[in-house]
Amino acid sequence: MKRALLFCAALSAAPLIHAAEPDVAGLVKSCNNCHGVAGVSVGHSMPSIGGLSEAYLLNIMTQWKTGERFSAVMGRLLKGYTDQEIAALATHYSKQPWVPVAQTLDAKLLTQGKDAIDRCSSCHGDTGAPDEDDTPRLTGQWAKYMELELMKYRDEAVKMPHKKMRTNAKKLDAADVAAAAAHYASQQK
Amino acid sequence: MTINRRNFIKAVAAAGSASLLTIPTSARADGKGKVIVIGGGFGGATAAKYIKMMDPAIDVTLIEPNQTYTSCPLSNEVLSGHRDISTLQAGYAAAAKRGINVMHDHVARVDPAKKTVTTGAGQTLGYDALVMAPGIAFDYEAISGYSKEASKLMPHAYKAGEQTLLLKAQLEAMPDGGLFIISVPTKPFRCPPGPYERAAQVASYMKHHGKSKAKVQILDANDSFSKKGLFEQGWKALYPGMIEWVSGADDGKVERVDAAGRMCFTGLNDHKADVINLIPPHRAGQIAQQTGLTNAQGWCEVAPMTMESTVHKDIYPIGDCCIAGELPVYDMPKSAHMAITQAKVAAGAIVARMNGVANPQPWYVNTCFSTLAPDYGISVVHVYRVTDNQFVYVKEAGGISPIDAPPLQRKLEAEYCVGWFNNVMADAFA
Repeated sequence: MKRALLFCAALSAAPLIHAAEPDVAGLVKSCNNCHGVAGVSVGHSMPSIGGLSEAYLLNIMTQWKTGERFSAVMGRLLKGYTDQEIAALATHYSKQPWVPVAQTLDAKLLTQGKDAIDRCSSCHGDTGAPDEDDTPRLTGQWAKYMELELMKYRDEAVKMPHKKMRTNAKKLDAADVAAAAAHYASQQK
Repeated sequence: MTINRRNFIKAVAAAGSASLLTIPTSARADGKGKVIVIGGGFGGATAAKYIKMMDPAIDVTLIEPNQTYTSCPLSNEVLSGHRDISTLQAGYAAAAKRGINVMHDHVARVDPAKKTVTTGAGQTLGYDALVMAPGIAFDYEAISGYSKEASKLMPHAYKAGEQTLLLKAQLEAMPDGGLFIISVPTKPFRCPPGPYERAAQVASYMKHHGKSKAKVQILDANDSFSKKGLFEQGWKALYPGMIEWVSGADDGKVERVDAAGRMCFTGLNDHKADVINLIPPHRAGQIAQQTGLTNAQGWCEVAPMTMESTVHKDIYPIGDCCIAGELPVYDMPKSAHMAITQAKVAAGAIVARMNGVANPQPWYVNTCFSTLAPDYGISVVHVYRVTDNQFVYVKEAGGISPIDAPPLQRKLEAEYCVGWFNNVMADAFA
């Protein structure tokens, strides 16, 4: 009994960085600040993350941490998280329900958006529901966020992975960037 | 950078319809316990909300004098005219709806031995756990000639609301070619990048409202400041020749003011200006001092695992009133993001204790955005771990935005600042 107690005490005193099972609840609460409770963002430039696929979340967080993918902020945060913590976060958020956001969108942009997504739909589908697990869901994602993501893929000054995505983003007419984003943002199912 | 209010409200409603009660709670007995939260700012409102969300059986009372909260973050954009002050405000209806007992009163005293709080109206309430989140108090006496009364002539605008609008009115009334002084107190103060972001937002107003010959002078009691290289680069690019910074070593520390005469005095020089934004030194909010929670420097020290006071058991000082982390360089900044993070750690510790389960592993992160222009944002990030019961700043992570970044980085950060703001407001008040 005494030995068991000592063992427990030793475990609880161990620094988190070595913990095999990260305390997901605590980690998640720190993500809420920017990504909303249960990963449903209420800020137009911040993506909702609850209900995105585990493969996508794990990949993008790992790429930010290693610097393989440009980020304005996320890389600086994720360098403080262990790979186990990142994996636990990806699992946690993938199990949350996806909640499309209701947002006010320009009617003209929406009309334009139906054609603007020609280059997007082969991977992201007409409504933003992808076929492949490692492709992000765009259905009802924030328009502003998607527009900013497209700007990253279109800008040679920053390092972005995924050649196919870079190529297609660059081929989009400048005027179609906001329209494509608005189209997917408007999808609610 | 106008925020679409309708979007924001719609989005808040959408988020509200998703189940927020997904955090598992253990089986519980009746009469779980009483929590009182003093102060309804970012920290206090978040603590009250998360305790109730994690365990609805806990009785939570939030005591806050004001009906409406006005956010200090982004309030510099009210000065430039890029933002209306109403976009910074929130009330407590959502908290009440959640089952939190919201009392609009101030707190007269706390008795840590009897574990009671007495309100201004004379009501005495018992608590099992007390969250102390009164924010900061100004040390008016530290600047000779300055006082609460004088702050109407020389606004600090470091508690947002009426003070912000006073400073804005003075800025609008000043002549082209005039001088706007920002007096920065000795560290630590809330929002470490705040005065330097303010300089940019004030210069932005001058530039776009026919006062491009006017100047901003920062009289600083300190010899360096948060994101200094990034700010100086941004000032030069956006407002060339308009902003001057005077360090403490270069006679920047204001010691005395003549509020009516719009003058301030450093050790060697007299400064006459059209507007003086006098930010006095800070310490923990009055009730924290009065309860005996503060150290010799005027701040509440806390235990890293729980945010519990190192002075009085069952009291959890969070937000701007506390001092935490590795001093003097890696201490936790007094920011909204940090306050919210600390609130969640305190909430987790209180709920665990009341349910007789192990304390959750705390997790501390911070992001401070500063907006110099609608397309120009910069930030600093902090990640902390608790190791051997100490706050440890993770040096591999965090840090400031790169100095040699392309314009896209600055644009993204300005946009993310707005998204961050909407989410932290919802995290605390929705």
